[in-house]
Amino acid sequence: MKTRDRILHTSLQLFNEEGEEQTTTVDIANEMDISPGNLYYHFKGKDQIIGELFHQYEIALSGTLTAPIERPLSSPGNVEENWYYLYVVLEEMYQYRFLYQNLDNILQRYPDIRRHFKRLIQLKRATLYAICQTLIQQSVIDTGEQQLLGLVDNMTLNLTFWLSYDHLLHDRRDPSVSIHQGVLQLLTMVAPYLGDDQLSFYRDCEAIYASMLEEAG
Amino acid sequence: MSDDKSKVTDKASEIAKNIWLAGVGAYGRAVDEAQTNLKKAAPTPPKLFRELVKAGSALEEEATGARDAALSSVEERISQVRENFHMQRLARIEDLEGLHSKVDKLTRKVDALTRLIKEQQTTAKPAAKKKPAVKKKASARAAPRKKAAAKSASKSGKKKV
Repeated sequence: MKTRDRILHTSLQLFNEEGEEQTTTVDIANEMDISPGNLYYHFKGKDQIIGELFHQYEIALSGTLTAPIERPLSSPGNVEENWYYLYVVLEEMYQYRFLYQNLDNILQRYPDIRRHFKRLIQLKRATLYAICQTLIQQSVIDTGEQQLLGLVDNMTLNLTFWLSYDHLLHDRRDPSVSIHQGVLQLLTMVAPYLGDDQLSFYRDCEAIYASMLEEAG
Repeated sequence: MSDDKSKVTDKASEIAKNIWLAGVGAYGRAVDEAQTNLKKAAPTPPKLFRELVKAGSALEEEATGARDAALSSVEERISQVRENFHMQRLARIEDLEGLHSKVDKLTRKVDALTRLIKEQQTTAKPAAKKKPAVKKKASARAAPRKKAAAKSASKSGKKKV
């Protein structure tokens, strides 16, 4: 791995584990066993590192979010694909969880990131809208137009801030529990519009969550 | 009814796609425009938005390759999640209860076999040795193996994130 990539990799790890605000460039250099001068040669400061990490995140998440807009994830027989997709999105968000652990603060300090983050939210909204449209078309859910827009907004809200909320309430939790519950919460919003067939998937999700909590003790 | 629905969907995916295109074209205001557009689902998009879509269309070609790659990776990842999900579904409480009763049954069987061995050992030593011992091993192993599979599923989930 090139030094530049290693810096980004280590930074992401430290930001996620220790918090972005608490981590300095010296910490990053120390962790990598390189001199701060060497780090400075690649990045002029922490701002640049964060900017680059966010850029990576934006590209990755945009790519993922665009998929259901490009083409429906499911055919009538396998609606579950849409729910599995939600895991994929949340897992990707989790990889850059430092953003969500201190979201307001970061967005205030980096207006550039704020603008792009806003764009990601819009894209999320379009994605969830596209998914819901597919579900309507495949007669999986049944909603009026006004309800649908409300539903999409609620889902976007939940998806965007789930990790912040989870971090605030539970601090550090087994990531698989956080992510699973995030998906379950999203499904809970769709559940009232689901037919009986699809509800069985929802019940499975609930059961898995219950046994996860039991295991976590 | 289905006609209406597909009409709605066509329009929606067009709006969604336009938002994507506007996003490719420019940041900031484009998105606000797109948002209003999505909310109202207005039949004629505002002018600025149209221009941005145009700009986005030009860039679209460039972005298509990257999107195709993203698309197939999304599908791959979905199938991975699907597998994990099925594994976890195995570990549901009802399944565990079923497993417990199975273990109980097997234990009883093993006990019976052990008794049988003892009886046979006292009567005809060499003949009875092999067969029951093998059976005992297999039955004892069956239950923990399933549990281990469920556990490794949740572990691999952890690792991935």
